[in-house]
Amino acid sequence: MAGGDGDRARAPKRHKSSAPSRSIDETAELDYTDDVDDDVRDADREVKKRDFTKLELKPDHANRPLWACADGRIFLETFSPLYKQAYDFLIAIAEPVCRPESMHEYNLTPHSLYAAVSVGLETSTIISVMSKLSKTKLPREIIDFIHASTANYGKVKLVLKKNRYFVESPFPEVLKTLLKDDIICRARISPEVENVKQRCLPNALNFPMLEEYDFRNDTVNPDLEMELKPQARPRPYQEKSLSKMFGNGRARSGIIVLPCGAGKSLVGVSAACRIKKSCLCLATNAVSVDQWAFQFKLWSTIKDEHISRFTSDNKEKFRGMAGVVVTTYNMVAFGGKRSEDSEKIIEEIRNREWGLLLMDEVGYPLVIFEVHVVPAHMFRKVISITKSHCKLGLTATLVREDERITDLNFLIGPKLYEANWLDLVKGGFIANVQCAEVWCPMTKEFFAEYLKKENSKKKQVLYAMNPNKFRACEFLIRFHEQQRGDKIIVFADNLFALTSYAMKLRKPMIYGSTSHVERTRILHQFKNSSDVNTIFLSKVGDNSIDIPEANVIIQISSHAGSRRQEAQRLGRILRAKGKHQDRMAGGKEEYNAFFYSLVSTDTQEMYYSTKRQQFLIDQGYSFKVITSLPPPEELPNLKYYTLNDQLELLAQVGVFCTCCFLLVNSLRHLNQSLSARDDMIGIEHLEEDSDGKALMKARRSAGSMSAFSGSGGMVYMEYSTGKGKAGASKKPKDPSKRHYLFKKRYQ
Amino acid sequence: MPQVMVVARNFMDMVAALPAAKLDMLYDSAFICEAVLRSLPPLAKKYALQMLYVSAPVAAAAMEEWVLDEYAAKHRVAIDRLLQLRVFVEVRDRRKEVSYKMNQKFQGNMQKYLVDGGSLPREPIPSSVTARLPTLAELESFALEQWEGNTFYLFLLIRSYCLNATNVHSPSKGTHSFLYGKIVLLAAIDQLISSRERDKFQLIHDENFSARSSEFKVHLISSLAFGIYLDGEAPRLTENGFQFLLMETNAQLWYIMREYISSAEERGVDPTELISFLLELSFHTLGEAYSLNTLTDVQRNAIRDLAELGLVKLQQGFVVVETNFRMYAYSTSRLHCEILRLFSRVEYQLPNLIVGSITKESLYGAFENGITAEQIISFLQQNAHPRVADKIPAVPENVTDQIRLWETDRNRVDMTLSHLYEDFPSKDMFDQCCDYARDHGCLLWEDAKKMRLIVRVEFHSEMREFLRRLR
Repeated sequence: MAGGDGDRARAPKRHKSSAPSRSIDETAELDYTDDVDDDVRDADREVKKRDFTKLELKPDHANRPLWACADGRIFLETFSPLYKQAYDFLIAIAEPVCRPESMHEYNLTPHSLYAAVSVGLETSTIISVMSKLSKTKLPREIIDFIHASTANYGKVKLVLKKNRYFVESPFPEVLKTLLKDDIICRARISPEVENVKQRCLPNALNFPMLEEYDFRNDTVNPDLEMELKPQARPRPYQEKSLSKMFGNGRARSGIIVLPCGAGKSLVGVSAACRIKKSCLCLATNAVSVDQWAFQFKLWSTIKDEHISRFTSDNKEKFRGMAGVVVTTYNMVAFGGKRSEDSEKIIEEIRNREWGLLLMDEVGYPLVIFEVHVVPAHMFRKVISITKSHCKLGLTATLVREDERITDLNFLIGPKLYEANWLDLVKGGFIANVQCAEVWCPMTKEFFAEYLKKENSKKKQVLYAMNPNKFRACEFLIRFHEQQRGDKIIVFADNLFALTSYAMKLRKPMIYGSTSHVERTRILHQFKNSSDVNTIFLSKVGDNSIDIPEANVIIQISSHAGSRRQEAQRLGRILRAKGKHQDRMAGGKEEYNAFFYSLVSTDTQEMYYSTKRQQFLIDQGYSFKVITSLPPPEELPNLKYYTLNDQLELLAQVGVFCTCCFLLVNSLRHLNQSLSARDDMIGIEHLEEDSDGKALMKARRSAGSMSAFSGSGGMVYMEYSTGKGKAGASKKPKDPSKRHYLFKKRYQ
Repeated sequence: MPQVMVVARNFMDMVAALPAAKLDMLYDSAFICEAVLRSLPPLAKKYALQMLYVSAPVAAAAMEEWVLDEYAAKHRVAIDRLLQLRVFVEVRDRRKEVSYKMNQKFQGNMQKYLVDGGSLPREPIPSSVTARLPTLAELESFALEQWEGNTFYLFLLIRSYCLNATNVHSPSKGTHSFLYGKIVLLAAIDQLISSRERDKFQLIHDENFSARSSEFKVHLISSLAFGIYLDGEAPRLTENGFQFLLMETNAQLWYIMREYISSAEERGVDPTELISFLLELSFHTLGEAYSLNTLTDVQRNAIRDLAELGLVKLQQGFVVVETNFRMYAYSTSRLHCEILRLFSRVEYQLPNLIVGSITKESLYGAFENGITAEQIISFLQQNAHPRVADKIPAVPENVTDQIRLWETDRNRVDMTLSHLYEDFPSKDMFDQCCDYARDHGCLLWEDAKKMRLIVRVEFHSEMREFLRRLR
C-alpha cells in the first residue's frame, strides 16, 4: 500500500530512547502531544470490550433514556422524551465522552462526581435519579462507586478571611487526618493554598474542599456598583450555567464550558454583576483584554472609572475601593523585573481580596505556559498571587485527560456546566457549520520530493505548497466570493505557504510581525469593504483576532494533530449571524458557515487531519470528505495549471528551504535563536503579551527572521508535563534539565 | 410416463392424516382448535358449534335427522371431516349403536375461547421497541426477490439438464450446494390455511442461531421428491422436476411445504410441532414484528427456512450510526453481535444494546473476508433505527463516504508477483534481457542506470532460460 495508508494509520510507537538524529515525524510528535493522549485512549478502548449483558432490563426500559455500565460508562438516548432532564443531570455528574446526534456517551469519574456534589447534588439524589433514568437495574459497582466518591464531600471548607486562607471542618478527626499530611502541614507555615487543595482531591486524601463565597454577607470587602443592563438577556444555557454557579445563593468556584461564539463573556459579566465585588479578569492576550473591557461596558452598568486594563501597552491605574481589572495571565505571572508603574499595579492586585477571579480560556493558558518561560507553575502562580473568594473559569475546549482535569480541579474548581454544541446549533445560538475535508492529491513531482529521505525536513512545506491544494484553495475562494458573497479566512500555519498563497492570489494577510496599524487597516477593510472578502491569517488569527463577519474558513496548513487549534479555528465562524429564525432548522440560513480543511493525500497531513478533527467529531460535527475539487472544467482557469508553473513553484520551495536552513543555523550559532528548530520550516512562533522588556528585546533582535526561526512561545501544547517542556524555552536553561533532543545543541 | 405426484389440496388434509394421538396433542393449544374450526366446511362448523356444550355422546342416527334427506350427502361429508380431524370422536355402545362425542380437549379449548376470546402465545413486539418495520410493499418486494432468486437457479438447473452435458459446469459445484438450499425451501404458507391470507411477518431478536441443518435439503434431493438426482457429477432434473416447474407458484410452494412436513420425521423433527407452529404463524398479523426469543429450536429452524422463501423477513435488531463512527445496535442477539464484529470493533455489550465503532482496521478485516463496502452500507441502512431511518441519509454521509474511500484505498495498489534481476555483468546483456521481456509483454519495470529490471513471476523460468542461453 502506498504512503496514504501508512499516514492514515495509527501513530507509530513512540521511542523512549534518545537517538542522535531524529526525523521530522518524531520531532513533530513531541510537539503536538495529543498524539500521545490518543494512543493512550486507544489502548484504553482495546481493554474496554465489556460485556454487561447480565444487567437486569426493566420491563418499561423503552421509556427510560440511559444505560449505565459497571465501569462508569453511560449511554444516553437523545431522542428520549426525558433527554433534556437526563442531559442536565449527566452533565452535572459525568464527563461527556462524545455527544453526536442520537446517542451520547459519558464517563463517571471521581472528579465528575466531586463536581456533582459541589453543585449541590446529594449522594442519594444522584443514585436515585440515575436509577430512575436507567433502563436496567443499576450495577452494584456504580452505586458503590458513587458512595465512595461522594462520601467525604462537604466535610472540609476553604475560607478566605483577611487575605488568608483557612481550612475549616466541624469534624476534628478529619482535621487531624489532614494535618497528618506533610504538604498540608507545611502549608500552615508557608501557605500554598493550591497544594492544599490538590492534596484534598479525590485522587489523594479525598476530602474535596467546599469553596463557596457568601458574597451577600461579606461586609469586609466593599461592594461594586454594577448591574446587568436590561438589554443583556442571558440565553437559557447561559442562565443554566449561572444557576449552577449561584445555586444556593452563594458563589461556587468552578469552570463553565461553552463553545466559541456562544457568549461566554455575558456569563462572565453576569457573574461579576451578581457578586458585585472587585473582579479580576484574566485573558490570554492584549486583544482579548480590550474585548473583555468592552464586554463589561457593553453588558453592565459599570462606570468607566471602575474598570481598568493592565497590559504592557496600557497600564491604567485603579480608582476607587472596588473595581474590575482586566489583564493577561502573563502580566500577572511575569517573574522578571517590571517597570515602576507595573510594579505598583501588581502590588495592588496582590494585596486586594478579589470577590471574583474570572479566567478566560482556562483550558488554554495551561497550554501556553507550558511552552513559555516556566510551565504549569505560571498558571498556578497567577492563582497563588491573587487572593480571591471565588474563581470562575471559562473555556470552549476542555481537555479531559485525567491529569489535566485534575489540575483545573484544584486550581479553579470542578466543572459547573457544559453546554452541548449540537443543542446550541439546533437552538440557533451558534452557526451550523458544514465541515469538509478536501483531499488534494500530491502532484507527481511534489510527491517525489516529499518521499526523498533528504527532504524529511521540507515535508511540511511540500504538502502545504502542493499545487493541487493551491488550486483547490483558489477555487473555493472564487466560489464563495463570487457565488455566495461570503467572507473568507484562509488559515496557514506555515508562513512560506501563507505568503506564497496570499501573494499569488493577491489577498491581504496578517501574521505575527504584521504591525498593529497594518492589522487594523486590513481588518477594517475586511469588515467594511466589499472589495476585501478574503484574508490570509497565520495562527495569530486562531483566537486573538475577532472577526465576526467571516463565515468561511479554508485551512491550508495547520499545526500537526492539534485538536484544540481545529476547534479554535472553527470557533471563528461559530458566532451566529442574521436573524434567529433564519438559523433554525429549515430556515434559509441553516447552513451559512463553512469550514474546509485542505489536506494533501498520502502525506502526514492525512494522519494529522484525522486527529485534529477528533474533538469536533466528539461534539457531533462531521467532516465530509471531498475528493473532486476543483471540478475538472475549472482546471484551466486556475493557477499552476501547467507542469512548468508547478515545477517553478517546486523550485521556489527548494530555494526557500535552503535559505531557512542558513538562517536557522546562523541564528543558532549566535546562540540567540532561543529555540530555533530546523525541522519546522516556515513555522511561526508568536509572542504573548507580557511585561518583560528583555523579552521584547529578544524578539526584536531576531527581527523578521523570528518569523521563520521560531522566537516565541505560542505553540499549541496540549499537555502539561513531560517532554514538551524544553520545546521552546526562552532562555538557556540548566543543561541537565534540557530535553535530550536539545542538549547537544548547547554543548 | 412420469407420475405426477398427487398434491394434497388442503393443509387440513395433512392435519387430518396425522395419527390420533398426535392430533389430540395438537388440540392442546386453543389457536389450533380455532384454526381447525375455521377450516371446516360450513355444515361441519355448525355441528361443531352445536355440540360445543354437549358433553354426552349424541347418536349418529339422531344427527342424521338434523338434515333433510336431500342433504344427506352433505351431512355425510361434514361428519366425515369432523371425524377425520377428530373433532368428533366415534363412540359405540353395547348395541353397536354409533354415537358422536366431541373431542374433550377441543371442546374445552373452544369453550374457553368463547369466554375470553383466546390468546396467542406470542404478542407482537411494541413499536416503541422495534426497528422501523418494513412496509407491506417492502415485504412484498422482499418476498418476490427471494422467490425470483429461487426460480432463477431452478432455471439454471433446467438449462444444464437440457444441455445434458456432464461437463458443463453451470451450475458449478459451489452453486450446486447453494441450489439445494434454495430449491428446497420453496415453500408456502399462503396455501396452508385457507381462512387466512398469505402471511408475511417478521421476527426480530433472535437469541441463538445454531448452525443450520441441511438435513431436509439432503432428504429432498435424495428422495427425488423434487426430481433432482445426482448423475455422477452433474445434477440433473428428473421428469418430476419438470412437472414441478410447470406447476403454478402456489402449487409449487405447497408441494414443497408438503414435503417439508412429511419429511420432518426423517429429519428428527416432530411433524406435529411443525404443523402446530405453522398454524400458529397463520394467526400472526401481517407486517408486525415478533420476537424469536421465545421460539423452540424446531420453530427457529422452520422460521429460517421460511425466511429463505421470502415468506418471513428476519430482522436482527437495528442500528444507529453516528457521525463519529460509533455504532449502537439495539439487539439482544449474539448472532447479531457476531455480524457486527465482522466489520466493527464491538466495545460494549448491554442487555439490549451493542456498542461498537467502525474503524479502518475493522473494515479492512471485513474487506479481507470479501465483504464489500456496499454490503456494509446497505446492511446499516436497512437496519437503521426508526429514529434515524426517516432521515436522509439514514447512515451519516461522512461515514458511508469514508467506508467507500477506505475500500477504494485498498484498490489503489495492485499486487503483481514478480522477480527482480540485478547485477548484470554488462549493459548489453541488460538491454537484451529488457528487450526479451518487453517483447513478451512481461517487463514491469527497468532502471537502465542501475541495470535492474522486474518481470512478471510467470516469466521467471523463461527469463532464466534466456539468461543461460546468453552466457
